Amino acid sequence: MAFRAVNSRRHIGLQQLSSLAWAGRTLLGPMKACKFVVDESTDESMLICSAVRLMESLDLTSAAGQLLNETIQAQSKEFKTGMSTLLFLVGAWSNAILECLQQNVPVSAIVSVMSEGLDSCCEKVQCLQVSVHDVNKELCSSSVRPSASESKASQIPCGSSLNRQIYLCFQKDISASEELVPRNSYFPQEADCNFNKGLVWPLASFGSVASLVRSVDDGSTSVISGSGVSASICKQKKLTHSRYFSPGAKSHVSSHLGDSQVYLSGQSAYTCECYGLGHLAMALSHGSQPSMKLLQSIVAYQHERAECSGSSQFSIAEIATCCLPGLPESYSCVCPGFVTLVSPEQATVIKHFQDKSLWIVLMDGDLTEQYRHLGFTKPRNVKTILEYPSLQEGGSRTSWLSNMLDILISLEVNLVLVKGNVCENLMERCIANNILVISSVTQNVLSAFGEVTGAQPVTYLTQLNASCLGSGVRVELWKGCDERAMELGQLVPVRIKVQGISLLTAVLTTAVASKMCLIEDQFWTFVYRLHHALRDGKVFLGGGAVEFLCLSHSQMLAEQCLKLAGKKAVKEFRSPQLAAFSSEYKAVVLQALATGWSQYLSVVMYNTAKTASEFEARTLIDHHLQKAADCGSPSAYVLKEFRRGSMFRGCSIPFTDNEEGVKVYDNVTAKMEAWRRALDLVLLVLQTDAEIIIGPRRSQLLNSRSSSEFMFL
Amino acid sequence: MSRLEAKKPSLFISEPLTTVSQPLSLLIAILKSCYGPAGRLKQLHNGVGGYVCLTSQSSAILGHLSVSHPVLKVLTASVQNHVSRFSDCGLFTAILCCSLIENFKNLNIASCTIIKISKHLLSLCTDYLKSKACGCQVSVDFSNLETLLCLVRSILTSKPACMLNKTEVDCLAVLIVKAFMYTVPCHPETKPVLGKCVTVPLKGKRVLDSTVIPGLLIETPEIQFAKPFSVKRTSSDAVKVVVFCVSMSGDLFDPEEGTVTVHHKISLEMSELDQLLNVGKQLVNDEVGLVVCQKVIHPSLKQYLKDNHIIAVDRAGLSVMEPLSQVTGSKPIASIYSLSPSCYGSLKDVRAESFASKHFVHLIPNDTTVCSLILCNRNETTWDELKRACETAEHVLQLTLKEPLALLGGGCTETHLASYLRQKTCCLSTSSSKDVECSPTQYQLITDAFCHSLESVACSLSHDGGEILTDMAYGHCWLVPSGFPSASNWSDLLSKCGCGINSSTKDLNWRHLQPLFGSSPIESCPKEPSGKVTDFMTLDCFAAKYNGLQVAVETANLILDLSCVIEDQN
Repeated sequence: MAFRAVNSRRHIGLQQLSSLAWAGRTLLGPMKACKFVVDESTDESMLICSAVRLMESLDLTSAAGQLLNETIQAQSKEFKTGMSTLLFLVGAWSNAILECLQQNVPVSAIVSVMSEGLDSCCEKVQCLQVSVHDVNKELCSSSVRPSASESKASQIPCGSSLNRQIYLCFQKDISASEELVPRNSYFPQEADCNFNKGLVWPLASFGSVASLVRSVDDGSTSVISGSGVSASICKQKKLTHSRYFSPGAKSHVSSHLGDSQVYLSGQSAYTCECYGLGHLAMALSHGSQPSMKLLQSIVAYQHERAECSGSSQFSIAEIATCCLPGLPESYSCVCPGFVTLVSPEQATVIKHFQDKSLWIVLMDGDLTEQYRHLGFTKPRNVKTILEYPSLQEGGSRTSWLSNMLDILISLEVNLVLVKGNVCENLMERCIANNILVISSVTQNVLSAFGEVTGAQPVTYLTQLNASCLGSGVRVELWKGCDERAMELGQLVPVRIKVQGISLLTAVLTTAVASKMCLIEDQFWTFVYRLHHALRDGKVFLGGGAVEFLCLSHSQMLAEQCLKLAGKKAVKEFRSPQLAAFSSEYKAVVLQALATGWSQYLSVVMYNTAKTASEFEARTLIDHHLQKAADCGSPSAYVLKEFRRGSMFRGCSIPFTDNEEGVKVYDNVTAKMEAWRRALDLVLLVLQTDAEIIIGPRRSQLLNSRSSSEFMFL
Repeated sequence: MSRLEAKKPSLFISEPLTTVSQPLSLLIAILKSCYGPAGRLKQLHNGVGGYVCLTSQSSAILGHLSVSHPVLKVLTASVQNHVSRFSDCGLFTAILCCSLIENFKNLNIASCTIIKISKHLLSLCTDYLKSKACGCQVSVDFSNLETLLCLVRSILTSKPACMLNKTEVDCLAVLIVKAFMYTVPCHPETKPVLGKCVTVPLKGKRVLDSTVIPGLLIETPEIQFAKPFSVKRTSSDAVKVVVFCVSMSGDLFDPEEGTVTVHHKISLEMSELDQLLNVGKQLVNDEVGLVVCQKVIHPSLKQYLKDNHIIAVDRAGLSVMEPLSQVTGSKPIASIYSLSPSCYGSLKDVRAESFASKHFVHLIPNDTTVCSLILCNRNETTWDELKRACETAEHVLQLTLKEPLALLGGGCTETHLASYLRQKTCCLSTSSSKDVECSPTQYQLITDAFCHSLESVACSLSHDGGEILTDMAYGHCWLVPSGFPSASNWSDLLSKCGCGINSSTKDLNWRHLQPLFGSSPIESCPKEPSGKVTDFMTLDCFAAKYNGLQVAVETANLILDLSCVIEDQN
């Protein structure tokens, strides 16, 4: 076992983080510069533009690299968006903290001030949240009457008058809770907070208080009622309590169901054909056209389907993708049913089917002789003896094949969807018998077919009986927008559909094969952005508005600390000398926090070509910061600028009437979680003072170049 | 063909203590740097890109360390033994033990004398800690949750790798206490056994999304049940439950040795499956509503059960088996051939629930001491650390229920004990030294070393070079925030002592804790603290610290007594 100390002034872990994050700078913002990743061993190359893919191709053997990868994977698993933000902030804050260490700021001070500073910023930017309903109303109306957008826009704050009432009702409870657990003890509240409270604050506070009421109701918390108030603050802010997103009794169910389906009810009168979500999808995708069009048609399809059930919903589980490299991008479309690629031999089977209604079987494992369900251990030490060898039986292999085939034929199965792999020989025999077998089908596709056809998934074909079969499936060759079937390389796209199936396949096409992975990643990112926006029930003003407010807020906190450092007699400490000292530290650390935001903004502006250089961007930001400060209330300034649309707009989209650029919005939870995860990672690495390498590699370490760094126990 | 190798001769190492200095000081450095809420973290990994464990907890560090020096092996083994029994105060024990060895080694006094006197000093400490007059002991009132919350909060905040902010600490502390309360039986007369709190992992979510639910949650891979979810009930409106701890995947028994010869027309798999289906038939006849299997159920059996409206849950895992039998009152069945109705248990209700993206079967009993803590943290590394912390907290609450006492934390117990010992031995030294047959000087030196070791534990709380003080009135520990210049007037810099019970006043007469050798003892016994138990105090588990103190001193004595090590090299 070896032990390597980390030099505290030039923290090696932070340096590793910052250099890894540097690679992701160009991935930030809506206009990403893609990267070519070339695999030297196979000479294959891939175009990437997401932090997750970047991580996959970086050398991450260092402990800090491992932690960074883990953090990015966790964000990706949870949100599918915000990873490049996370990566960038990790780098920016690592550098800023290294500077702090250079100035001899103690680690504990950095940790506490940084995390409280971020908490304070997160509270501050709550005033830039807008409910999805308001955004929709505004976006749709402005698309109907573009000229009237200015006057409509001013209605955003008014839309929440009801929220304000709710807020007043519960204000008593909230203030009671704030006494016990001061949320923001470190920093003095800003005067203009009241201005913002009417906007979205109430929504969030309502949610948390409502959960308090309920938790008292169920009686189980009576034991700890003395501290129930602090518990309520900690509860998840359930936004299902907003009147827009949950019809009373359903709230509990939907919040539990929450992950795959989001309901958006209570909006029957749409002002435009986007069904309440299309424009939102556009605003969230920051102007990426092809994916956005697909997303809009998905929304339209899902809306049409859900109209009979009375609520508009957006369900991620009902979306699949099929990548067709080699076709021009204009072929991208959304098809109801399942589109996938099959071999030409299988395609001949389809021709045989013509327009027949087919019987379907779903299998949730592999379709091979050797496959056994998970947890089954093959018996060892079993010898099979053959008493009368006969030449007819060509071993067990053929008998398994013919058994399986007999089952399929006797039940008149036409189509088998398999989650795993399929035995080659069986596949051939099936084709010969006009049975189409498709392998590597994802779970959500299987479920969608199971739901609509009544088929029950089985693990082995021997389990099959008539009740497991589904019916009413039709298979055809997939036809592009020019109504022609086509063949790509050696594969043929086919479409499997059932009347009433909820599944939609987004067919993604590109003429440049190496862009395929990139397009698919992007598509899913936008799908998830819309999903999270609906689940949060609110969105942030985008285009850097939120980060700008964070920057101005953290700078303001830093300035306040400096002022305090000059002043005498602070409550916290009796000695003026001590107060001055601690405030100076705080100012340095808060400035480091602000550096992260400032770098973020300038790199985004530079990447989107709004400015010619990062330096120019920084000047522009400083200019706006000054104006915001002069205005007195930075949040009001940001709101005004956003509505005017100069500073915080996405890039203008060609072919739209709107020349000033679209309004863009960002996810709330995904963004704030990305910040918090980035800071947590940096602070974790900062607090590490040693690596302990475990395992029997002593001699290897002794011989390595850096052996002098290690100590052995 | 087997090959016999000649046995290697055993290795004889005399005076193992002479070579221990360098690795011991490295171990002390590692342990001390981890101690307390501002402790530094350690990255434990294999150096080739494997999983990184980021921690400051003794259980994780000592579990992964492989020490080669025999003396350190003795030391880590005894600390690990303490941790396995008490969960808490592992670093305290380890640091104290190391410092005792180091300080005693430097004294140049015969080890038998040291052992005698340190045993005597230990008994002074333990007697004092157990006595009513003890100034660093707080009694825990279970009707008032504040002390319990303080205990839990102290544990959570002393684990910085959990990455919790204040709100999250408060929230989790409430949840942990709530979970503990669920495990305390309502009618202890009938069944005086504590229940279980099962931790359900939900990695990737925010800490604030954690919750506690009475009853048991068993994770299922996806919703595989019929919609709407319904469960078959018996005539008495209960749900009959059967629990299997044997694998029902249809694989054969493993004959270990020898071979089984089978005729090719007979399929062992099929006959095994037939047996399973027979079990299924019996379950249907017996009106069972829920089947839980620790391992895997064969898909065919699952299908059969589903067709007969029985809910089947497999891959429940070993960890839920004990709480499962507590909740249902059923006996886990270890063989599919021994199915008897007496093994069946019952439940009030069974529901399907999902949290975040995970699906669960929720077992709701009539009267339960089992609950599920759904624990969330943002990523794997921090979640693992948080889970260790939560388990420690739960264990500490259980220990506190047995012995409703707590000790002042934040270094105050250590400095208080040291000043008590100094004061006590000052007036006793002449008489006591005769009892243990040594000179008063020796006695004084050993006492000093002992007290210094205690104080060095408190000193380990400071990591950024901040000064540590103790006051002459209460003997508590005071931390000066790091980075501040030495001031003549300490009362300006300090607001609260380490445990948070005393506020600073002018007359406390502070002094530095570090260079204390030969310092004059205080005139009177250290006073009991002035303040009352408040909301935000740092408290430590009494049982864990009390035992840790004994383990540390006794292990140090044992190690000092080592004269040779004989190592078997085979």
